[in-house]
Amino acid sequence: MGSSCPRPPGPKALRLRLGCPLLCLLQKQLPRRQEQQHFPSLDDKPQFPGASAEFIDKLEFIQPNVISGIPVYRVMDRQGQIINPSEDPHLPQEKVLKFYRSMTLLNTMDRILYESQRQGRISFYMTNYGEEGTHVGSAAALDNTDLVFGQYREAGVLMYRDYPLELFMAQCYGNVSDLGKGRQMPVHYGCRERHFVTISSPLATQIPQAVGAAYAAKRANANRVVICYFGEGAASEGDAHAGFNFAATLECPIIFFCRNNGYAISTPTSEQYRGDGIAARGPGYGIMSIRVDGNDVFAVYNATKEARRRAVAENQPFLIEAMTYRIGHHSTSDDSSAYRSVDEVNYWDKQDHPISRLRHYLQSRGWWDDEQEKAWRKQSRKKVMEAFEQAERKPKPSPSLLFSDVYQEMPAQLRKQQEALARHLQTYGEHYPLDHFEK
Amino acid sequence: MAAFAATAGGLLRLRAAGSEGQWRRLRGAGLLRGLLQPESATGVAAQRRRVAHFTFQPDPEPREYGQTQKMNLFQAITSALDNSLAKDPTAVIFGEDVAFGGVFRCTVGLRDKYGKDRVFNTPLCEQGIVGFGIGIAVTGATAIAEIQFADYIFPAFDQIVNEAAKYRYRSGDLFNCGSLTIRAPWGCVGHGALYHSQSPEAFFAHCPGIKVVVPRSPFQAKGLLLSCIEDKNPCIFFEPKILYRAAVEQVPVEPYNVPLSQAEVIQEGSDVTLVAWGTQVHVIREVAAMAQEKLGVSCEVIDLRTILPWDVDTVCKSVIKTGRLLISHEAPLTGGFASEISSTVQEECFLNLEAPISRVCGYDTPFPHIFEPFYIPDKWKCYDALRKMINY
Repeated sequence: MGSSCPRPPGPKALRLRLGCPLLCLLQKQLPRRQEQQHFPSLDDKPQFPGASAEFIDKLEFIQPNVISGIPVYRVMDRQGQIINPSEDPHLPQEKVLKFYRSMTLLNTMDRILYESQRQGRISFYMTNYGEEGTHVGSAAALDNTDLVFGQYREAGVLMYRDYPLELFMAQCYGNVSDLGKGRQMPVHYGCRERHFVTISSPLATQIPQAVGAAYAAKRANANRVVICYFGEGAASEGDAHAGFNFAATLECPIIFFCRNNGYAISTPTSEQYRGDGIAARGPGYGIMSIRVDGNDVFAVYNATKEARRRAVAENQPFLIEAMTYRIGHHSTSDDSSAYRSVDEVNYWDKQDHPISRLRHYLQSRGWWDDEQEKAWRKQSRKKVMEAFEQAERKPKPSPSLLFSDVYQEMPAQLRKQQEALARHLQTYGEHYPLDHFEK
Repeated sequence: MAAFAATAGGLLRLRAAGSEGQWRRLRGAGLLRGLLQPESATGVAAQRRRVAHFTFQPDPEPREYGQTQKMNLFQAITSALDNSLAKDPTAVIFGEDVAFGGVFRCTVGLRDKYGKDRVFNTPLCEQGIVGFGIGIAVTGATAIAEIQFADYIFPAFDQIVNEAAKYRYRSGDLFNCGSLTIRAPWGCVGHGALYHSQSPEAFFAHCPGIKVVVPRSPFQAKGLLLSCIEDKNPCIFFEPKILYRAAVEQVPVEPYNVPLSQAEVIQEGSDVTLVAWGTQVHVIREVAAMAQEKLGVSCEVIDLRTILPWDVDTVCKSVIKTGRLLISHEAPLTGGFASEISSTVQEECFLNLEAPISRVCGYDTPFPHIFEPFYIPDKWKCYDALRKMINY
């Protein structure tokens, strides 16, 4: 194609003289202009503002690589043995035990609260089975003041930050102790003190918000990273695209942490995307990206630690795609046997579970044994049951809290509505569950 | 989103049609001498661009806020933004094209003055702009987001309604995005058609947790915008784009506040209450003058200013006095904000009403281009509705 075209001449004036008598005439009529900017383009490079690239004269489409995609970084094998000793973070015993206790306590709390929904004690619940490693590995790699934006399956981050069982339960029961004042469905946790932004149900909305928070942290020289969790399904939302692009163009110190657990309710990844997962999208935005074994708590830890260090030092985003598997149902409103086999679930539960892999690591180090396991199971169950029983007994907050916090100050019209409800309850109160609520 | 290069010249030309349009000269380069064609030769009467449907009436120079300067609406906005960035070191302004000064010149000079980390462009993505702004505000910093046209705010609707508006409530006041303000050019401009003319305030009026504000003039705009920025709740500030250059008055140089959720009675009267906001305030002001002159009817003119939460008391107090209410807005009739006002007023003032409440609004159509003069609720439609109310 190319060889028959004459080489384009250099400066613009030269081209005009060669080409076009009419334009040449125009040239004479126009007032003298400043010298046109001289592009050093006697060498034949593309000058487009939109891309920095070479020319190619062969027609070739880029083939997306999904057969052998981005490799999965791991530190331990499925039996909890370190593969490459130089990747072992060599964390002290106490810290690794904290990992283990956080993950198992979460698991215990999940079992009890899932059951409590089945018994009609709470209205709804979502478990974290199989993903405990993604929560704890990443949380442990952050500073306690790093701001967390989650989706809804990151309770282990709060658990690692020592959010008390009492408050987990309070939110699920919507009782007087709930910091959220009973406004949201269960598992929509939030904690200002622990820098965990309150969860909201719409998916992926937290992603551009996290980017804004990171920008503000950068401006404040806070030496703080923001971490934003989301699932591979939420990554299909427009807000995810928006967040990635803003983070890169505005140079924000943020870690995007995608929990790729194989399903968005019933939708498997094969119906969620056709490319190489979420990690492969990062480079498209100019974002440093990695894929890790989400069931390997050390791999998650190492990747998050390094991402944090560089995100803050270099003011750029990092994308971590943690591959894992959602062992539980999407929520108590879901029965996943409708769309996947029990065998598949059992494989992950029995053969590749973050808790058992870490336990094997601990045991091989002599930091844990069956005795301690037995004692801890009993103790953690007891702690959870106590918190559970207490939460159940507490009243709900006063119905007047239905009306506050819509704005910082209550508008006049809303106060009228609040008064109207109070009057209504005076007459019709017997038809309302007032006994369970504070005055 | 559609690109719209709105240069200053691209906005409505306000000068009266002159002789310029009479002859059409074909321009050519060099060889063609330019055929002069009398308009009759074309077979169709040459049409001139129309004058505006309103006359901007400036308010008297404010005395109580110190030195004033002649400013148009966009300059008043710039002044408010300048004041904000000067006194609040956390404040940042962002959106499409704000860095060079903005398509309506509202941010001219601010990047040079305050730095590229405080006044910056974002990618072309409204849901990202608002989401990003929410995130800044969650950390406590002041976020001033610009949406290039109110017509393009809809991709951000989820972030505004499901997130910003509910942030404080859903978290039990653990978190909030009160320091977020979203600004957007709003309303008809003479030639904007479907996607450069919309007045979407009614969509947001239905959303507890945000505030929605529309100024009628440069002085009002600066004071209201400053109040929005300082308000501890997320605010949407709609700027009537047709007023950006057309509205000129004396505006204080220093910061000052015009209160939110307070309507202003800009003219007292006894027979009819007229309520509007933004550009339409100037239309109903003129209608009030017409009513006085032609019908001897005394109108009370109210600028609502804040759509949400709106000042029920001022409007009701007025209707109790006059017994008649006319509400007018460019936005379509059905579900427009006039319906909320009408419904509340008839609840509160039923026995005081002498006539049904009248709404003079845009038709239930998308905003048309060539038919704009027929679409808008102009002074003749308002006058006619008023006359019918008086004669009820």
